Amino acid sequence: MRFTGRSTFGLAALISVVLTLGTLAIGRVAYQITHHAIEQQLDHRIDTETRALLVEPGADRSAAIGAAIRRRLGAPIENDLDYLLVDRNGTRIAGDLDPAMKLVPGYEEFFRSKDGLVGQAMTTRLSDGALLVVRADRAGLRTIDRRLRALFDWSIGAMLLLGLGGAWTLSALTRARLRRMDRTALAIIKGDLSQRMPVSGSGNEFDRLATTLNQMLDRIAALMLNLRQVSSDIAHDLRTPLTRLRHRLEEAARGEEADRAASIEAAIGQANELLEIFSALLRISEVEGLGVRKHFRTVDLSTTLTDFAETYRPDLEQRGDRFDVDVEPGIEISGDRRLLIQLVSNLLDNALHHTPPGTHVRLSARRVAEGIRLSVADNGPGIPPEARARLFERFSRGDASRSSSGHGLGLALVSAIVTAHHGTVTLSDGPGFEIVALVGPAGLEPAT
Amino acid sequence: MRILIVEDDAETCAFIARGLTESGHVVVTASDGRDGLFHATDGSFDVLIIDRMVPAIDGLSLVKMLRTGQCATPVLMLTAMGGIDDRVEGLEAGADDYLVKPFAFSELAARIQALARRPVLQADPARLSLGDIELDFARRLVRRAGRKVLLQPREFLLLAELMRNPGRIVTRTMLLERVWDLDFEPKTNIVETHLSRLRAKLNAGFDEDAIETVRGAGYRVRGN
Repeated sequence: MRFTGRSTFGLAALISVVLTLGTLAIGRVAYQITHHAIEQQLDHRIDTETRALLVEPGADRSAAIGAAIRRRLGAPIENDLDYLLVDRNGTRIAGDLDPAMKLVPGYEEFFRSKDGLVGQAMTTRLSDGALLVVRADRAGLRTIDRRLRALFDWSIGAMLLLGLGGAWTLSALTRARLRRMDRTALAIIKGDLSQRMPVSGSGNEFDRLATTLNQMLDRIAALMLNLRQVSSDIAHDLRTPLTRLRHRLEEAARGEEADRAASIEAAIGQANELLEIFSALLRISEVEGLGVRKHFRTVDLSTTLTDFAETYRPDLEQRGDRFDVDVEPGIEISGDRRLLIQLVSNLLDNALHHTPPGTHVRLSARRVAEGIRLSVADNGPGIPPEARARLFERFSRGDASRSSSGHGLGLALVSAIVTAHHGTVTLSDGPGFEIVALVGPAGLEPAT
Repeated sequence: MRILIVEDDAETCAFIARGLTESGHVVVTASDGRDGLFHATDGSFDVLIIDRMVPAIDGLSLVKMLRTGQCATPVLMLTAMGGIDDRVEGLEAGADDYLVKPFAFSELAARIQALARRPVLQADPARLSLGDIELDFARRLVRRAGRKVLLQPREFLLLAELMRNPGRIVTRTMLLERVWDLDFEPKTNIVETHLSRLRAKLNAGFDEDAIETVRGAGYRVRGN
């Protein structure tokens, strides 16, 4: 039986049936115990009574006991015991019992008499051969039995009814709540992304689920917005070089033979710029897709960084910059060497192209408590505060004028590369401009 | 040279074929992998240009089949943009060089020249000498006309790459790939910077420029 696949009603009904069966079993045991206790009590009673009769004083045992029996039967108080005393020939000496069965010494659970009554009896042989029977009426036991059974029947019936009713109510309530979520989801599917799951504020599990779903929807909405933003940014950023390309080609088409070659060369330059934007975008989305992780190897970060940094030294020093490389030796990381180089290359490109000559540029990498801290910092003018928020998004530029080179894709790729390496990237608060990549322990585990 | 082009995009194929024919090569084209395999196995080609995504048999499989079939003709693989690991996969399959589309024709031409003249064994000799320049790999030493030239490690690698291709153009992208192991173009012209330093050091005290810049194409050291 699979419980998980059942409807709420099915599940609740099943539970109530199981509970009912359980109660039935407990009732059955309780009934048995009660029944036995009462039977034992009756046995005890006839036993006591028999003993009491046996010690009646008198030389003739039969006569003395017979007199005692008669006395008891003649007493005005209600006595639910029946007696019989017969001599060794079976002749009645005393008692009101007409046995419908042969008398055998000992206990008899179901002693029938000729009046059709059944009782619990004890037969004892006296020393003179006479037989004494003391029988207790089982009517009381039967009444108790009957009442217990009735009680169980009613309570179990009621329980089953309540259980099934409860199951139905529960499932109806669940359905109603889920239907509200369902309606919201359908509205979202139809395109209304502003819809949110109803939250009653009660904090129950439905509310918690609704809250989680709403957070998920918020995230999706934010991503959608970002996507829309990126698409319109792409369109916007491609329009400029495409327009220039077109102008160049128009010039080439109508221009003098001498100018034509220059125009065509300029047009090729524009086309290359467009292609560069495309390949940068493709690379960002490829890295963001995280498929690159399956090719991760253990990379000697320290050597890679110090080696590659030297490539930039001539360009930086040519401008009169100071370039410090402060890399702790022996740092290893699970990653993609080329992507890590591209990360540093993009950051150093930024330092080189967005600061005035004579800037102090510093590349550092060291182990910290949280993992590895990689940073490229400069003491240049930094960026305006309003540019900070979108800094790592595609087509965002630190300088609002958009005058400086680049398409605002460098830091987006940096961010994607750091994320692929299980890290986080931030812009430091201090003066100048410092990008800090923090790669946590997940990024340090040896590649498999 | 006899060159086979396996490329399914008719326009790209025509563009390459036209360019190569104009440079005096003999070109055969195939529009799918099976056709390509048929032509390639006749063994009369000097270079094979194979697109990664061709119908019937894809480029990677085609190269693998050729290499298992003892065909050693140099292969230049072409691919559309993207794929960070495309290049590695291509080289692992047995291609000798890899070029990402779109490319300038001069880039393709330079690579074909480099491939066709490539010695079968790629291992560097202990020393290379070209004109008055002598390169000692074991001791990492460079001399010009017997005079010692002190180079930075990267400058040494740069010169070595140029000298492995005497008389042939080596493009910027080829240098980025082979000297820096980069598969992207940094915004900073690191190739230009390092070349100008290398040139300054090599040419100090000489009239003749050791490295020739071929405008719009790349760099070249003169052959013997």
